[in-house]
Amino acid sequence: MIRAVVRTELAKQLRRPRTWVALGLVVAVPLIIAIALRTNPPRQPEDGRDFFFVAGHSGLFVPVAALLATSHFLLIVVVSLFAGDAIAGEAAWGNLRYLLVRPVPRGRLLAGKLAVVAVFSIVATMLITLTALSAGGLLLGFKVPFVERLAGVSGTGDAIWRLVQATGYVAWSMSSMIAFGFMVSTMTDAVTGAVGAGVGLGVVAQILDAIPALGHLRGGLPTHHLEAWTHLFAPDGSRGDIVRGLILPVPYVAVFLGVAWWWFRRKDVLS
Amino acid sequence: MPLVLEAAGLTKQFRRGVLAVDQVDLHVAEGEVCGLLGPNGAGKTTLLRMVLGLVRPTAGGAVVLGTPVRPGYDALRDVGTLVEEPAFVPYLSGRRNLRLWWEAAGARWEDAHVDEALEVAGLGTAVDRRVRTYSHGMRQRLGLARALLGRPRLLVLDEPTNGLDPGEMREIRNLVVRLRERGVTVLLSSHLLAEVEQVCGHVVVLDHGRVVADSPVAEVLAASGSAYIEVDDRDAATRALATLDGVTDVVFEGDGLAVRLHEVARSDVVAALVAAGIRVETVTARHRLEDAFLELVRADP
Repeated sequence: MIRAVVRTELAKQLRRPRTWVALGLVVAVPLIIAIALRTNPPRQPEDGRDFFFVAGHSGLFVPVAALLATSHFLLIVVVSLFAGDAIAGEAAWGNLRYLLVRPVPRGRLLAGKLAVVAVFSIVATMLITLTALSAGGLLLGFKVPFVERLAGVSGTGDAIWRLVQATGYVAWSMSSMIAFGFMVSTMTDAVTGAVGAGVGLGVVAQILDAIPALGHLRGGLPTHHLEAWTHLFAPDGSRGDIVRGLILPVPYVAVFLGVAWWWFRRKDVLS
Repeated sequence: MPLVLEAAGLTKQFRRGVLAVDQVDLHVAEGEVCGLLGPNGAGKTTLLRMVLGLVRPTAGGAVVLGTPVRPGYDALRDVGTLVEEPAFVPYLSGRRNLRLWWEAAGARWEDAHVDEALEVAGLGTAVDRRVRTYSHGMRQRLGLARALLGRPRLLVLDEPTNGLDPGEMREIRNLVVRLRERGVTVLLSSHLLAEVEQVCGHVVVLDHGRVVADSPVAEVLAASGSAYIEVDDRDAATRALATLDGVTDVVFEGDGLAVRLHEVARSDVVAALVAAGIRVETVTARHRLEDAFLELVRADP
């Protein structure tokens, strides 16, 4: 029966102009990056971040540049938009009470809504990679450059497989922000508040991460391993903090979703 | 008559300390139209939300169609609702709203009584327009259509005529009467007394979260009343009425007098005026439920 909630929610989201605006944003930015790399290729590797330089020579690496450029803010905003709106949006319209007396059981509504938020968040992340890859391939070709610098990338197929993993990693690294926005969404009728909560968590975590005095505490910030996936393209074949980065969101997601569940099942629906 | 709704000791105290509903007992028998009357802020909406499983009671409980009320309880399938404002997804058409709402519970659209419900809504081709473009009256009618999609056995209507023009209000009253004839039980909250007087057989008056009256409308009316009387000499009439038992209040109103009565017949009042040598030109019964209501609400501190 959760399928009924997922299906109707998907139908609702797909008919919503705002969904297309959000997805349009994650298509536009990689397009701009690909065009910029083509028209104005970076001449020299920049310090610590030579992916833009590499991307300037092969469409295969434009997705890497695009994921790096969007995952720190734009993608956080887009997934928070989906997550923060999920319950608070219905409450703001006043439609939540009508769904609940349909009746759609609260747990089921929450699970269905969360599934749709997850689907759109994954789609948004995939669109970054796909747009960058197609635009990059079209404008810059699919050759594998500097193999000696990108240890382990043996060919086009291998590079694409790594991009799939990188995309999955980036999508999963959004999950703390998604879960937080979703949790706040069950508590308020103000969509902007819930969206802001997701974005705020991402931004504040990155600001704190930039304060060296916080020492080891920074390792627990939900955005700390946001770039660990770049080790998939590391010259020395090391995997860095990828596994740590995969585990990092688990407690955040568990706690935020647990609270959302607990709260929503008991909440007095007054909107 | 079996009870469609039975509530005992329903109480809701919000965290900020407001006692919105205080030990309310409510009985609605099958096939009756029960009016829930009370001034704004009396707790009507909170009471209805508890009955629908939207608000958790602090104490007490309710049984609807044989099922104990919990959040999202199954019997809600047979309950049609309009709670406060009708609300929809604004960027979807009226028809799409109804359909997605209906299907969200896993039901098939073919099983909904769409034509019947849309006939009630009477929206014509507008039903395929975005709800954002609807007037308040259109939303209200679409909300009623949504409430009727499943041919409910119990209809819970919270202020269904709020914000409607007189024509639309009459349409909704007629609809309630038609539904009653079909055997649908209706629980209707309102602060419009004429509305309750016209369609309800049974009235529960709520004030400050408590039930201050629970009886057939006829009984509430019998307990009090008032009259509008036009006489040739208003001052003399006022003096004459002041000495009469059962006259609780006399005020000048328009060209005549508004006289509030308690357990005294209008004919006795006229007789007393005539005996005092005053010519009575017209006597009209006034909104009687309103007086009864104000008396009940006023009596309660």
